[in-house]
Order: sequence, then structure tokens, then C-alpha cells
Amino acid sequence: MMHDHIELSLEQSLDHCIKCNICTAACPVSAVTDLFPGPKYVGPQAQRFRKDGQPTPDESVDYCSGCRVCNDVCPTGVRIMELNSRARAQIVEQKGLSFRNWILGHQDWTGWLACGPQAVIANFSATNPLIRIAVEKVVGIARKAPLPRFSTYSFRSWFKKRSNVRTFERSNVQTAKRQVVYFHGCSTNYYEPRVGQAAVEVLERNGFEVIVAKQGCCGLPLLSNGAFKDGRRYYEYNLEQLLPYAQRGIPIVGTSTSCTLTLKEEAPELLGMHDTAALMVAENTYDIFEFLRLLHERGELDTTFKPIDRSLPYHAPCQLRAHSIGRPALDILELIPGLRLSDTLAACCGLAGSYGYKAERYQIAMDVGAGLFDFVRASGSDLAVCDSEICRWQIAHGTGVTMKHPIEILREAYG
Amino acid sequence: MRDTIVIGAGLAGLMGALALAEAGRKPLILAKGQGATHWTSGTIDVWGGDGADRPLAALRDVVESRPEHPYARAGSDGVEQALGRFRALMEAARYSYVGSLERNVLLPTAVGALRPAALLPATMAAGDTRLGGELLLAGFRELRDFFPPLAAANLSAQGIPARGVYLELPAVKRKLDFNTRVFAQLFDEPAFREDVGRQLRALRHGATRIGLPAVLGLKDPLGVVADLQRLSGAQIFEIPTLPPSVPGMRLFQIFRDAIMAAGGRLQTGSEVLRATGADRRLEAIYSAAAAREQEHRANAFLLATGGIAGGGLRTDHTGAVWETALGLPIQAPSSRGEWFSPRFLDERGHPVYQLGVTIDEHMRPIDSGGGVIYTNVAVAGAALAGADAVRERCYSGLALATGWRAGQILSTES
Repeated sequence: MMHDHIELSLEQSLDHCIKCNICTAACPVSAVTDLFPGPKYVGPQAQRFRKDGQPTPDESVDYCSGCRVCNDVCPTGVRIMELNSRARAQIVEQKGLSFRNWILGHQDWTGWLACGPQAVIANFSATNPLIRIAVEKVVGIARKAPLPRFSTYSFRSWFKKRSNVRTFERSNVQTAKRQVVYFHGCSTNYYEPRVGQAAVEVLERNGFEVIVAKQGCCGLPLLSNGAFKDGRRYYEYNLEQLLPYAQRGIPIVGTSTSCTLTLKEEAPELLGMHDTAALMVAENTYDIFEFLRLLHERGELDTTFKPIDRSLPYHAPCQLRAHSIGRPALDILELIPGLRLSDTLAACCGLAGSYGYKAERYQIAMDVGAGLFDFVRASGSDLAVCDSEICRWQIAHGTGVTMKHPIEILREAYG
Repeated sequence: MRDTIVIGAGLAGLMGALALAEAGRKPLILAKGQGATHWTSGTIDVWGGDGADRPLAALRDVVESRPEHPYARAGSDGVEQALGRFRALMEAARYSYVGSLERNVLLPTAVGALRPAALLPATMAAGDTRLGGELLLAGFRELRDFFPPLAAANLSAQGIPARGVYLELPAVKRKLDFNTRVFAQLFDEPAFREDVGRQLRALRHGATRIGLPAVLGLKDPLGVVADLQRLSGAQIFEIPTLPPSVPGMRLFQIFRDAIMAAGGRLQTGSEVLRATGADRRLEAIYSAAAAREQEHRANAFLLATGGIAGGGLRTDHTGAVWETALGLPIQAPSSRGEWFSPRFLDERGHPVYQLGVTIDEHMRPIDSGGGVIYTNVAVAGAALAGADAVRERCYSGLALATGWRAGQILSTES
């Protein structure tokens, strides 16, 4: 186990736990299953029994989905999710990472293999019930869990081909025009390039030159499966690629709320990396709507929107809530005439990264999301909005409605 | 982007935000976490100190004789108005409150002590210990910290005949952890309460009123009580539990929904760390967020972060006391030795409990010389100086009254 200042502050933070059980009452996982006894037990309570060189006392911590609702509601500021993540890493260190979790942690590899014209074959396999049953039996990935469809082209290939783009990657970054680095993440690159296309067009509309820096997976799929060593390699690669931009004060903007959270806080905190590079990249990283909201606060956002006369459900994903920046997408989309958004107020969609893909957790994930699905269905809308790809896939799976990233709605409003 | 910000999501902050939202101000509530509501019993305690038999008269006396008391800033008419608005809000959410300021009701606690309350959820009404007759208290072994035999023995010793029994847990999918929220979810299911209701009828014997832990559902608690009354043949009442409090969760949800419906917004996980201002105006506050603080600029701010228990005030071993969000000055005894009276149960209470922010008649924070620190800030709830809410048993009444008043004042702030 690591002994950095975060570790020390975690130890101190667990002393702030007054055992009020507010976290247990808010936890969406312990609400639906006995397998997870709740954040208070596996976090601040079990932590007192986790010691170097000793077997971990309680493996139920692995049933924590990492949604961070506990952190959000704790009235005394205990960092419960970080305690749980480190406890899981300790288990992985002692027992190793399963093949299934290794696969789920490497979405960048599967994406790289399957994205492109060959996506047709990959998508056939991913939707073929017999293959899915076989995969569930052999690997342990739930047969019904909503695997995303691979795109026939990657976001990066689209971006490269655009004729009106003069710069790509690290050339010409010192030009005078306002610049922004776009962190697309694996899902935009391999599954949903349309999200990245909308982001680029919205940023350009507001006078930014968009740089698509070299980047790897943010590392979160590995970190959340307790594979800290592997996750660290990805994070360090990204730091190396992004630092030159951060040093020039060029903002790094992302559409995946989990990737941006990883760069801002998750990776440095879990891995105990607090050097200048990690700090600079963290401080220069923004969720795209957080960034647009800052522009708007300075009066610099183009607000010449076409009306969109619709009422849409909006779900704020757990990973966005962990940014602790409110509802930036609502703040900006509210500016579009005619558009009415209703916050689902749901704690979690259930899928929580790779959690709901695990065969033994599929039903837990669906039970966690049940209230959210009811809300979306009751709205009667055939379209709902959410910032996180994972939640979009799960909500679509649970309800059958089409899901969009809020940046796609904003792009539409620009006409 | 929001022109009014409320700091704190306890009863004072929620009541203030409601006043602001209803005045069209679309407030943003920033809160460190969920807290005060989930820690409360759900009853509204207006006055339980000296003169507790007649709370309204005692309240008028406090307003008259103790101008430094937060109730004096709200005024007794203001208190009544705030409570009226509160009751209407609850009524509209089909979670009605009963009781009055004329006389406190004495309710049994989870250990069988008696506590006065002015307003109480209708789900607790039949718990009035002065109604006479034998009480049956029932609970589940699976629910921690609720022991019907202990509570019944303590009530009987005080001349209130009571019996305590444990119920068999109906067949449910869960096997392990049962907290208050899990029980509330179970009571939301008709089959579960059917089973409980039948057990109560069998165990009732001579009792006309049956007390259960306050976990009787989150969706329609009055409906659950009605069902259990029909099935058991007795009047049913809830007894507040240890936190997390289900009646407190109901309050939180009702307030949140009303505030959001009126255009307000709630942001938890966002502790306010510091503030900047100039020329007696607060300009911006900064909340904790991933990687960097979030800046919030607004025209008006309502501070309702609570006292020492709620985290709005901090103390340390040197005797220093400070207000955590805006850094407002606190008038405190010069040394830590003066925080406490010599005896634990001293009739005069302990000075440390009266610490807090001092305000003027417009609820604005003032310094020791009486000068207004920020003209666009109002302060409400347990962060205020001058009340001894533990002894005076007035936390919730004071929170609603000062929150409402502060919200109304800020509604006109430009």
C-alpha cells in the first residue's frame, strides 16, 4: 500500500466518520443487494482493519460500483470512494486481476481492433445471442449487458480528413488564435465519433482552434478494476502528451465525464501522483460544458441559438457529479429557447464503468437503474440526454430511447 | 449565473431557498453533503425550554425580553408565518403536519424518554403520551438501535403503561443489512405491510395505539399508516429513530422538489471554502471541486451552514472559533475555559452553545461594533448567535423561521 499524503489524509478523513449512515442510506448499490453492505462498512469501518502485509478483511468492497454518491452526501467530508478503490487495488495486488476484468480494463485495445470497416463483424458478434452466451460462460461478461456498437470510422480518422483543419496533433500549437485541446477518450474515438464531431464544431463556432493531441485511454477502466500499475502507465503517457499544452495554458477539454475526472482527480489521487505535471494537467482539464459555462460567464459564448421546442429528460452521471461543478450542461442548454430539460435526480444508472458488464453484477446494475429507467419512460420522450457514454448505453438498454450527449443538442441549436 | 446563492441544505437553507424560489429568484443551493435534515426527527420543535407548556407565550416572551435571540429577529408573527408556509408545503405534498403553538405534544423517543414538539408529522400524532391508555411498541430485531422492550419499560416507569414486542420479519429478499432506508423501502410494498399489520393485530391485546420505528415508507407514509391501522385495528404512530432519519429524508425530498419546481437548483458535494468581497458587498464564493475551486458570483447570498454540529462553525483546542464559509467574525469568550459552565447540567446552559454569527434586524452579519460586514448577505439557522437550541429545544423552529425571514429579505436584494 502507498504511503503518500493522500493515504495519510484518507486515514485522517476516516476519523471524520461519525457513523451517521447517511452514505448507506444514499448508496444505490446497497439499496438493491445484500452483497454490498454499504459505504460506511467497507469504507471507514473496514479500513481500520486493512494493514500492510495482512490479508484484506472484507472482499465485499469489490461490490462498490465507484459511483461516489457516498462522497457527495457525506456531511463530514470522508472520502469513502477513494478508500474503497484503494482497498480493491490491495485485493488485486494480493490475488491478481481476472482475465475478464483485464479485458474490461482495455477498451482501447478492443476498440483499436474492431473500429473501422471491420466493425460490421465485431458488431455482429457483439449482438449474436449465441456468441454472447459463450462469452458469458467463458469470460464472465453478462450476455445482456449493453455493449456499444463499434463505429465504421474512428473520430481521429474523421478529424484527420477534415480539409479545413490546418493543424493536427502537436504542430503549430504556438499560433496566436485561441486554442483548445480536445480529449476525446476511447468511446468517442471508436464507438461514437458523432460526439467528438459535435464538440469540435461547437468549439470552432466559438472561435477556437481545436487540437486533437495524441492520447491513450485515460486509464480509468483499469483503475476502477483495481489494476493500478497498468492504469498508471496510461495516465503517465497522457501526462507526457498533454503537459506541453498545459504548460502553455491551453485548456484540455473533454466530452467524457469519466476521462476528464480521471485527469483532474481520480488518477492523481488513487495513484498518489501529485507532481507538477499531474497538477498542471489537472488544473487545465475541463468538462466541455464546464468550459463553455466559463466562457458564458465571461460573455464569450456564442448564444445565437435556434429554438428547439422539446422537453427532454437529462441525467447527470455519477462521474460528472464527482467533478462537484453542479449541472453545467443544464446551465448552458437552458439558454436554448424552447428547450426544457428535467433532471432525473437518479443516483446512478447502474452500469458504473465496467461494473454492470460483469455477469454476476448485471442484475444489480439493472436494479440500481430501475428508478432512472422509470423516470425516462414516464417522460414519454423518445430522446434523453446524458454526458456519459456508459450511462447513455445503459439508459438506452433499460428504456429503448435514443440517447445523446448534450454537446450534440448544443450543436443542433447552432443550426 | 444564478443571482442568489444559498449555502447549506438543512432546514434553514431549504426554507430560505423556498422563499427565494417562490419570489422568482431561482436560487442555487450549495451544500457540503446531505446532513441536517437526515439527522432530524422530523418534528418541528419551536420551544421546549422554560415555559414549554405554552410555546407561543414563551416565544412571545423571548422575542420581547431577549432582543439578541434569533427568534427576536424573525418576530413571533414571522415565526407563525414561516410555520404556516411550512405546513402548507407539507400538506400539498400529502404529508400533513399536526399540532399547534398553543401546546406542545409530548412524544416518546426511541428509548422511551419524553420530548416536546409543536408540529409533528401526522404519522406521529397518535404517539401523544397524554392521550392515555396502554401503548404497544413494536419493532424488528433486524433494525439496529430500536429496542421496544427498553422504550416500553422506560415509559411504564414514567406512568405511561406500555408493552414492547418484536415482530417477525416478513419474507423478504434481503438477508443481511437492514437500515432505516431499507425498512422504508419495504414498507412501501403493500405485501410487507399486510404481513406486519396482521402481526400487530395478533399482538395488540388491550392496546389502542401502536408505536413503530419511523420507517413507514418514503412514497406515501400516510397511506402506510392508514393501511396498518385498518389491518391492526389500532392507531399507528411513528417513533423517530437514530440517523439516518426517514422523516428527515421525506422533508428533504419535499423541499427539494418544491424548490426545483420553482426554478431552484441544488448542488451537493460542494463545500464553500472561502469568499471575496469589497465595499461591504460579498462578490464571490468558492466551493471545493475536482482539480480546482469553483467560483460562484451572485448578487445575494444566504448563509445557512449550521453551528458546531453542522460544520458551519469550527473550534479548536486553543479556543479559537471561526465561521467556515465566509470567514465571518464570531464573538466568543476570550478563553476556552469560559465555554462551559461548572456543572454539566447547569440550568443556565453552556456559553459555547450560544456562539455564532451576530446579525442586525435585516439578518445581515455584523461585527463587534455593530457595523454591517456584507449588505447582500443574510444569515439563518444554527449559525446564528444568541440561542441555546439544545436547552431551548428550538433547532427546527428556529431554522424554519430565520430561513424564511432571511429568504424574504434577500428576495428584494438587487
